[in-house]
Amino acid sequence: MSATVTRRIAVCLGLVAGAFALALPLFAAAKGERQPVVHTVVIDASSFAPKFMRAKVGDRIVWVNKDLLVHTATAKRGAFDSKEIAAGKSWSYTVTAAGQLDYRCTLHPTMKGSLLVQ
Amino acid sequence: MKLSTAALALALLAAPAALRAAAVNDAQIASIVVTANQVDVDAGKLAASTTRNAEVKKFAELMVSDHTAVNKSAVELVTKLGVTPEDNPTSQSLKKDGDLNITHLHTLHGAAFDRAYVDREVAYHQQVLDAVDKVLIPGASNAELKALLVKVRPAFVAHLEHAKALQSSLGK
Repeated sequence: MSATVTRRIAVCLGLVAGAFALALPLFAAAKGERQPVVHTVVIDASSFAPKFMRAKVGDRIVWVNKDLLVHTATAKRGAFDSKEIAAGKSWSYTVTAAGQLDYRCTLHPTMKGSLLVQ
Repeated sequence: MKLSTAALALALLAAPAALRAAAVNDAQIASIVVTANQVDVDAGKLAASTTRNAEVKKFAELMVSDHTAVNKSAVELVTKLGVTPEDNPTSQSLKKDGDLNITHLHTLHGAAFDRAYVDREVAYHQQVLDAVDKVLIPGASNAELKALLVKVRPAFVAHLEHAKALQSSLGK
């Protein structure tokens, strides 16, 4: 008796889990969703590489400071501001809206970069 | 005061000639790099504690932190390489000009101080970039020393543009 109940519970749980497993990707696919991507921008020799990057809403951008100086990644219209990223440190930002985000280092204004968010 | 400004201007005009002088070895390059950075750190410290202009202060503080960081890396590298910085006419002239500049700045106040400091920063960074391009990068024989110079060069370009922007905002 108790073995039967346990088996039934297990079957039910299995079905529920299976249904979720099947439904989730279908649901995501139906809505055209994709897994967020992590993009890396390397800061070195007082420049951003790559300078231009395409990303989608929900993606995460990581700025890795491989330079020996402190830098910032600061969007022109205030969408994001890393503040000071020390040498050897990194900072990340998850993109929340579509549009073009031009950014620069506030300490070294010759350093410019751009994100095109779709 | 006019005379000392003229003397300083003459000294600054003479300096690039010294920087174009004969080929240098890595020990001399190390000395030039350390001296050049130290000169700007010293001027930056004086300016940061003297100026009442927020933009000049921000610039001076950046010069102190950037040039201190460059020197830290340079000293770490030459220590690792076992190179002992060797005094030479270029590093001596950089030191002399730096001292002359500090002495001159001590005689000034307010807007005159800001203009003199920023004018000197424009000339200094132009001079350093010239030396980096014509003497130091071509002259460096150790690959890591050359790579360090290449890595920091764009920051000096940023400093020069920053100083020029400040110069025009301060007016002549």
